[in-house]
Amino acid sequence: MSGTLTGHPVLDPRLAPPFPIAALPLLRNAQLRENVAHATDVIQSKRARLVAEKTDWQELRRAAAAIRSHTLEHLGSYLEEFEARCTAAGGMVHWASDAAEARAIILELLRQEQASEVIKIKTMTSAEIQLNPALEAAGIHAYETDLAELILQLGEDEPSHIVVPALHVNRSQVREIFARSMGLKDLPDDPKALTAAARTYLRQKFLTIPTAIGGANFLIAETGSVAVVESEGNGRMCLTLPRTLITLAGIEKVLPRFADLEVMLQLLARSATGERMSPYTSLWTGVTPGDGPERFHVVLVDNGRSSILARPTERQTLRCIRCAACLNTCPVYRQTGGHAYGSVYPGPIGAILTPQLMHMEYAQSLPFASSLCGACYEVCPVKIDIPKVLLELRAQVVNQERGRAARLRDPMFIGMKVAHAILAGARRFRAAQWLGRIALRPFIRKDGWIHTLPSLGAKWTQTRDLRGLPSQSFRQWWTARGKEER
Amino acid sequence: MSASAPSRQLILDRIRAATQNPRQSASNAAELSRSYIRRGKLGVQERLKLMIERLREYDAEVVDCVPEEVPAAIGAELASSGRRVFVAPEGLPAEWLVAGFDWKIDRGLENAEIEQAEGVVTAAFCGVADSGTILLHHSPSEGRRVLTLLPDWHLCILYASQVVETLPEYFDRCPSPGTPVLATYISGPSATADIEMTRIKGVHGPRFLNVILVRDGD
Repeated sequence: MSGTLTGHPVLDPRLAPPFPIAALPLLRNAQLRENVAHATDVIQSKRARLVAEKTDWQELRRAAAAIRSHTLEHLGSYLEEFEARCTAAGGMVHWASDAAEARAIILELLRQEQASEVIKIKTMTSAEIQLNPALEAAGIHAYETDLAELILQLGEDEPSHIVVPALHVNRSQVREIFARSMGLKDLPDDPKALTAAARTYLRQKFLTIPTAIGGANFLIAETGSVAVVESEGNGRMCLTLPRTLITLAGIEKVLPRFADLEVMLQLLARSATGERMSPYTSLWTGVTPGDGPERFHVVLVDNGRSSILARPTERQTLRCIRCAACLNTCPVYRQTGGHAYGSVYPGPIGAILTPQLMHMEYAQSLPFASSLCGACYEVCPVKIDIPKVLLELRAQVVNQERGRAARLRDPMFIGMKVAHAILAGARRFRAAQWLGRIALRPFIRKDGWIHTLPSLGAKWTQTRDLRGLPSQSFRQWWTARGKEER
Repeated sequence: MSASAPSRQLILDRIRAATQNPRQSASNAAELSRSYIRRGKLGVQERLKLMIERLREYDAEVVDCVPEEVPAAIGAELASSGRRVFVAPEGLPAEWLVAGFDWKIDRGLENAEIEQAEGVVTAAFCGVADSGTILLHHSPSEGRRVLTLLPDWHLCILYASQVVETLPEYFDRCPSPGTPVLATYISGPSATADIEMTRIKGVHGPRFLNVILVRDGD
C-alpha cells in the first residue's frame, strides 16, 4: 500500500501538495506502479474488445453526448421535474448548495433516525463532500460495503481510482488488512477466500443496520426514479433491506427520460469495467410499500457544479458519467496512480473537475498533469474534450499568476520571457543555438541524451531527459547541402 | 424539506443564470438525433442462441424446454441443485411449485426467513440477448427485490417471446409512459474484480444464476 511508503495520501485539494511533488514518492513505489499498471491493462484490454464488437459505438457516444448536453442546457427544469415525480412517489428531496450543507442535511436525517451505524454503497459524491469523517465525528459508524471501499476503510487508505478504488492494493496486502481487522489469522491470499471473508463480515450488517447511504448513477426526470449500477450486490442490499435510504447525487446526474438509459447503460459498463452490462442495475421510484425502504431521501448536491455550468468550454465537464475510462488510458495516471492528484477524482477527469469544484482556488497544478495526448477524449463515452478544457484551465491558472509579484522570481516565468526574447529574432535565435551547443556539450552522455543538468536546469531534468543538441542546426545543414550540389 | 428551501431557490437561480434558459423554452429530449442501432437484425433462433451464449459467458447455467415441460424442467433443476428449501413470489404459477421441495411462498416473509432459503424461483419481464441480461420488473410472479437477492441460488424462467436482441428493444417494450416503478437488470451472478482484477463470482448477491429458456414460438 502506498500509505506504508509515502505516508497517508491526502485527497483534500485544500491540503494536498501540488501534483509534481505528490507524484514523486509514488513514482518510486515499484509495487504500487506494478499494481496500477496491471489493473489498468486488464480493464483496457477488456474494454477494447467489447467496444470493437459494438458496431454503433460512435453513434452511441454521439447520442450520449447530445443527451447530456441537452440535459445541462435545461438542468433547472429537469431537476424540478425529478423533484416533483420523486416527491409524488413518496421520496423526500433536499438541496445542498455546498459540501457543508450536504453533510449537515445528512447528519440531521441520521439524527431523526437515531442512527448510530450506517451501511454505505460506494458513492463518489460522499467522498467529495468528505462525509465519513463528519459521520465519525458525530459518533456514527459507517460501514463501507463495496469490496474495494471496505479494503480501503479497514486498511485506513484512500481511493486511487473512480471505479476500482483499491486497484493500487494487491492480494497479499488485502490479506494482511483483512487478517488484522477481521481477526482471521489463517486467511489465505487468494481473491476467492478474501471475497468470501468480506461477504461473511458484511452479511449481518446488511441484515441488521436500518439506515443506508448511497449514490446515484442516474436520476430520471420523467419518472422520478433513481438508477444504481454495481457488480457485487452490496448496492442491492443497501437499496432493499434498510428502513431508510439516503441517496446523495450531484445535480448533474439527471437524465430527461427513462428511455435515455438505453444509451447510457450500453456505454457505461463497457467503458468502466469492460463488461457488456454490470451484473446489477437497480431502479426504484420513491417508496414502494412492501418492497424496500419505508423512507427515501435524495440530497441534490451543487458544491460548485452550477459555476462550472456557467462557463461555455468547461460545461462539458458535467456530462461525465464517472466511468473512469480516461484514467485507465492516461499515460500520466498509469504512471502515478490516483493519489498524486490529491482529490477523490483523479486522472484526466479529475484534473479538470477538481480545480473547478474548488472554484480554481486549489488544485491549480492538476490541469498541467497531462501530456495533452488526447487519449482521454478518444475513450470518453460522452465525448468530453478533456484536452480542450485542460488548456482553458491552464490559461486561467496562468492568468491568476500573472497578477502576482512573485512571478518575477519564478524560473518558469523568467524562462518564458527569455524564450520570447530569443524566438522573436532570427539572429538572436542562431546565437542562442550556438551558445546552447557549447554550454550543453559537457552534459550530453554517450546515448545522445542529457539526463541531469545543474542549478535551475535540474528542475527540467528531474522528471525528464533532454535530447542533446545536434552538432549542426537544420539551417546549417541546408546551406551546406546547397553548396555541395552546386 | 423546509431547511433546504432557501438552498433550493439559490441552486435553481444559479443554474438558471448559468444556462439563461427560461423554463418554457425546454425542448424535448426525444427530438435529439439517435442514429445508434435500435432494432436487432437476428432471426429468432440466432437471437436465442446469442442469449444462451452470453448467459453462459457469465457462468450462468441455461437449459431450454417447451412450454408443457416447464414444471418438469423446474423439478429437474431444483433436484440437481441439491437444495431443498426455496422461496417463491406469491404470483408464481401454481404448477411451477413442483412437489418434493420445501416451498416458502412470499406473503410478506421476513428477511431472515428469505435468508434461510437455499434458492429462489421467479419469472422475468424481459431478456436482452446482446448483453445476456435478465430484466425484472418485480411483478407478482417476479417477486419483491429482496427475494432474488438473499438466497444464494436463483432459477429464472424466461420465455423465448420475452427475449429481444438489443437494449433499446427492451425500452420499447416498457409500458408507456416508460415506467417500471421498480426494476433490477441482472447480467450474470453477483461478481467482483476488486482484487487484482480477478473476477470472483458471488460477493453479496446470489452466487448461482440458472435460467430455463422456454421456447414458446415467438
